[in-house]
Amino acid sequence: MARWGMVIDLAKCTACQACVVACQAENNVPCVEPEEAERGRILSWLAVVAEVQGSYPRVSMTTRPLPCMHCDSPPCIRVCPVQATGITPEGIVRQTFARCIGCRYCTNACPYTRRMFNWYRPEFRGELQLALNPDVTVRPKGVVEKCTLCHHRLMQAKESVRAEGRPLAEGDYVPACVEICPAGAMYFGDLEDPESRVAQLVRSPRAFRYLEELGTEPKVIFLSQGEWAGGKQEPR
Amino acid sequence: MDFVKNSWWLTFGAFFSLGSFMFAALLSDSVPVQPIRYNHAIHISNGLGCEDCHVGARRNEKATLPGLDTCMQCHSEAVGQSPEEAKVRSFAGTSQPIPWVRIMQLPEHVYFSHRRHVALGGMKCAECHGPMETRTEPPTKAFRPMKMDNCIECHRERKASNDCNDCHR
Repeated sequence: MARWGMVIDLAKCTACQACVVACQAENNVPCVEPEEAERGRILSWLAVVAEVQGSYPRVSMTTRPLPCMHCDSPPCIRVCPVQATGITPEGIVRQTFARCIGCRYCTNACPYTRRMFNWYRPEFRGELQLALNPDVTVRPKGVVEKCTLCHHRLMQAKESVRAEGRPLAEGDYVPACVEICPAGAMYFGDLEDPESRVAQLVRSPRAFRYLEELGTEPKVIFLSQGEWAGGKQEPR
Repeated sequence: MDFVKNSWWLTFGAFFSLGSFMFAALLSDSVPVQPIRYNHAIHISNGLGCEDCHVGARRNEKATLPGLDTCMQCHSEAVGQSPEEAKVRSFAGTSQPIPWVRIMQLPEHVYFSHRRHVALGGMKCAECHGPMETRTEPPTKAFRPMKMDNCIECHRERKASNDCNDCHR
């Protein structure tokens, strides 16, 4: 059984936000009004989060693409009273929108703040209506939504490899954010397979897990930037 | 005594009006009427298969309802004497698609792929859609109701995945 995971190389990431846009388009994530975004009601399954370190004049900023971490021990699923969220055998933290009652316990439990509540009925104006992805439902008002690691793509990949009569190979299933990354900073694959690219990168001395000390065991692993982490350059 | 009488009449009135409302509701729960009284039996007995008209049944997510072009391949000239057949050609004159009424409707948050079930799962059309070769009138309701219980039961029997997000998108 595969255990899907993602590696994000922060040394390569240019914070161009292509992954954010790809995610919004792939998963029918609605845009909200600027005033509502200021109130923290923005919906973004994947956000590039900036972190300022030090103070003037020695100041530096790190930007970090932050999708759902798909933790092996997710705090969000423990608090769900209706089992609308859970973890699949392949390690994807899932959300069943039709079952969610919108209590927002999970939004508060997620230490990465990667769960969003639909405050309004989603609106897709003009051409956006025509650009909706038919494989992903438009979530109604009042449910919590989150990154599904493009689960529909996994289903499609499984379907086509079964039709071709071969096992799932590396690269058959990639989420939209990883596919679009122009800097090649995102990697995706099976962490269980020791030969896969992600499994090799996870063994790198630069690899770290965000907020690891919380014991959530995230399956999105970052590669730190800078030489101070003792990093040797990974071959592209 | 008056009070008892009154309350009896009240109860009777309440039940009578409730009953008539329910009867009206039953009547108004109308049967879908198709634009053409399509006879599946006669088409199948003449050698047509499901996929000849529902072209996506094996290859695509949606099996699709046939368009005018499909009908006109055979019916551009009169094949029989049925008045229903003449309707097909009258639709061709209007250049409007035939307004078939869909009776198999899934909620929007469910992903269902025919290809997955027919081509990869090896299911027969009749398992969900019933014996169409015996139907001389268009079906008015789904043979197997589109309920989650039905999906789960079949998935359990055939040891298919029952993971929520495999169907709930």
